[in-house]
Amino acid sequence: MSKIVSVHSFRGGTGKSNTTANLAALLAMDGARVGVVDTDIQSPGIHILFNLNETEMVHSLNDYLWGKCEIQDAAHDVTGNLNADIKGQIFLIPSSIKAGEIARILREGYDVGLLNDGFRDIVRELGLDYLLIDTHPGLNEETLLSLAISDALVVIMRPDQQDYQGTAVTIDVARKLDVPKMMILVNKTPSVLDFDDVRDRVEQTYNASVAAVLPHSDEMMILASSGIFSLQYPDHPVTQGLRKIVTEISS
Amino acid sequence: MNWIKSWLQKRRVPDEKTNERFKLIISELKAGSEDIRPSDVVTYSEPLRSALNLAVRNAMMSLTELEKELQIGHEQAREVAELLVARHLFVKSALSNEKETFYETRLSAMTRPMKRPPLDLLKKLDD
Repeated sequence: MSKIVSVHSFRGGTGKSNTTANLAALLAMDGARVGVVDTDIQSPGIHILFNLNETEMVHSLNDYLWGKCEIQDAAHDVTGNLNADIKGQIFLIPSSIKAGEIARILREGYDVGLLNDGFRDIVRELGLDYLLIDTHPGLNEETLLSLAISDALVVIMRPDQQDYQGTAVTIDVARKLDVPKMMILVNKTPSVLDFDDVRDRVEQTYNASVAAVLPHSDEMMILASSGIFSLQYPDHPVTQGLRKIVTEISS
Repeated sequence: MNWIKSWLQKRRVPDEKTNERFKLIISELKAGSEDIRPSDVVTYSEPLRSALNLAVRNAMMSLTELEKELQIGHEQAREVAELLVARHLFVKSALSNEKETFYETRLSAMTRPMKRPPLDLLKKLDD
């Protein structure tokens, strides 16, 4: 039975794309067939983490939304780009990084119902075990749609007052959409904080489970999106925390 | 006469509470005429919201399931389903037969009003 998992944060810069890419890699290392959709059409970026060059992008999610191709035509097998021992497979459906195409989406809009159809089609056509949706920050129709059809939601936040308030909105909406499984990931936590205390405060605030509290990592900053962190640092505390989320997702 | 008993058990006979629930559902669905958006679903009252969430997540729902989820009568559920068809959330499935009606479900919404962009500007950006 395949699972659709949305990765969301109310505010930008929380590490959503990095987390999505790492979860995909860890799931695929365990042998799963994983699809990743970049629905952050306004500011796409996850393709960088998978070393997918613009010239290799024959079709993108934008082309599918404009009826130029089937969604599976926009899926790129990026498993080989990661230079790692991956038993499964990773397919990325990137958003276009052409300025004109981003502008067109912003000006014309698109029918989010096509995303609804596309998510289901890609799961079926590629025989996916997991479809991970990298969402746009904040709340809009496409994010709500992603939540509405997801089996699980990973909400990412930093231990920051602005994130605290925004996360409450996301969790409220996710509850109204009856998302079956919801977990919070506290990311970029300064090492001076007591992680258990952070976890307790977040769980009490939202009455939701915290899957992991990840430390701020200089290694992650230095890697600077040039690869998948968990593949390069398999024993790092960040990777260990991400593995807990993978366990939660696959349970 | 077991079949009558079983038929009656299956078909909820609307009481006052059921009728009130039905009226509220109808008024919420008739409040709009466009396609039902994800943001519409979160504003609906219970049990309509949960029923539509379930329908969307499963991609399909039968009339009997809708009746059960909304806790209304069978004919009332049929009326609700017709409204959902009119608002393009439900599409009658080819799997429907004499005994049961099935609906395929699909959320929809334009993220922006459909307008032609200034193509010359887009061309410049592409170049």
